Amino acid sequence: MDLLVTFFLVCGLVIFTGGAVGILRFPDFYSRLHPAGKLDTMGLFMSMIAAALFTFKAFSLDAVLTGLKILLILVFVFITSPTATHAIVDAGVRANLMPWTKTEKRDAA
Amino acid sequence: MKTAGVIIVFLFGGLLVYGTLDFPDWGDPDAPASRHVSPRYIEKSLEETSVPNMVTAVLADFRGFDTLFETVVIFSAGLSCFFLLRTKRKAPEARFYRHLPTGIVLRIEKGGRLPEGSVEFERIDSIWVPHDLIIRATCRLLIPFIQLFALYVIAHGHHSPGGGFQGGVIFGAAFILYAVTHDLRDGLHRLGEKITIVLCSLGVFIYAGVGALCLFLESNFLDYAALAPVLGVDPVTARSHGILFVEIGVGIAVMAVMFAIYTNLSSVGKQDEGL
Repeated sequence: MDLLVTFFLVCGLVIFTGGAVGILRFPDFYSRLHPAGKLDTMGLFMSMIAAALFTFKAFSLDAVLTGLKILLILVFVFITSPTATHAIVDAGVRANLMPWTKTEKRDAA
Repeated sequence: MKTAGVIIVFLFGGLLVYGTLDFPDWGDPDAPASRHVSPRYIEKSLEETSVPNMVTAVLADFRGFDTLFETVVIFSAGLSCFFLLRTKRKAPEARFYRHLPTGIVLRIEKGGRLPEGSVEFERIDSIWVPHDLIIRATCRLLIPFIQLFALYVIAHGHHSPGGGFQGGVIFGAAFILYAVTHDLRDGLHRLGEKITIVLCSLGVFIYAGVGALCLFLESNFLDYAALAPVLGVDPVTARSHGILFVEIGVGIAVMAVMFAIYTNLSSVGKQDEGL
């Protein structure tokens, strides 16, 4: 069980690290949103699963309730995070921000 | 002049830092602040108020006056926002209506408006408004949970972190979320301006009223133990219940003030259209 918790936690951390690097390194607004959205969903998914498994280890009613609440965080983040990303992209479109292209001709726009 | 400013800033900053050297160490048990009342609160708050969360007991019972006037401060913040920003609603230069089946936006000049009960047109703000079906649907799904959580935070302040201020802010945030995702007119349709003003004074009134009720029951102001005969419980439990009443008052006031400040700020006081 401990091994499983560690595995999920490490996976979550790897995804978080990758996402953070992505936010810093990607060239423009829209592509930076891509790792930002990934962080909240997959990274949080992994680390919350780890936390839930860790509480399930002491198997009692309290522990199960706590674990379920942790899983509830997942449900809400899965609903809200993509919506937030969608809203931010909408704001970008509204501000007339052009997507980045390799030719770099449209940067002036 | 600039160098003089820098010198003054560093001089006074240095004096302040020098002043902190006289402070007791962090967490020092012999510090003046933790020698007189703190041990008493720590030892007696559970048996005197039957509230496990010591912070709530200190906040709403032992230091009830402080919290009462904090609530009044929030109330006056909402009120001053209203008096500073609220302007008379003039008829706008043009209204914008979106024809829902086709998505065409009509600009109707001053004075003109659609006939009542026309369902195919939706009034939109004059700034660019996207079709935000996804955001609206998500918020319709989430707002009930946010409000339920706010009530939980208010009611569960006795046992866990939380209380009137935090719960009220969460509740107000639910209304603000509704006003952001739909538009300000829909938000005001749910919680009108008059109702917010009545609610924020009602919250302070509940708090002060509970205190005054204790006064009428031949005890000190905000001494909830006096409520015991009214509630039909022993004095210790009455103090716990008194804290709950007060927290409800704080929650109502904070919620209404949050929404009032938001509506006034986002619409520049016109309460017409905005964010």
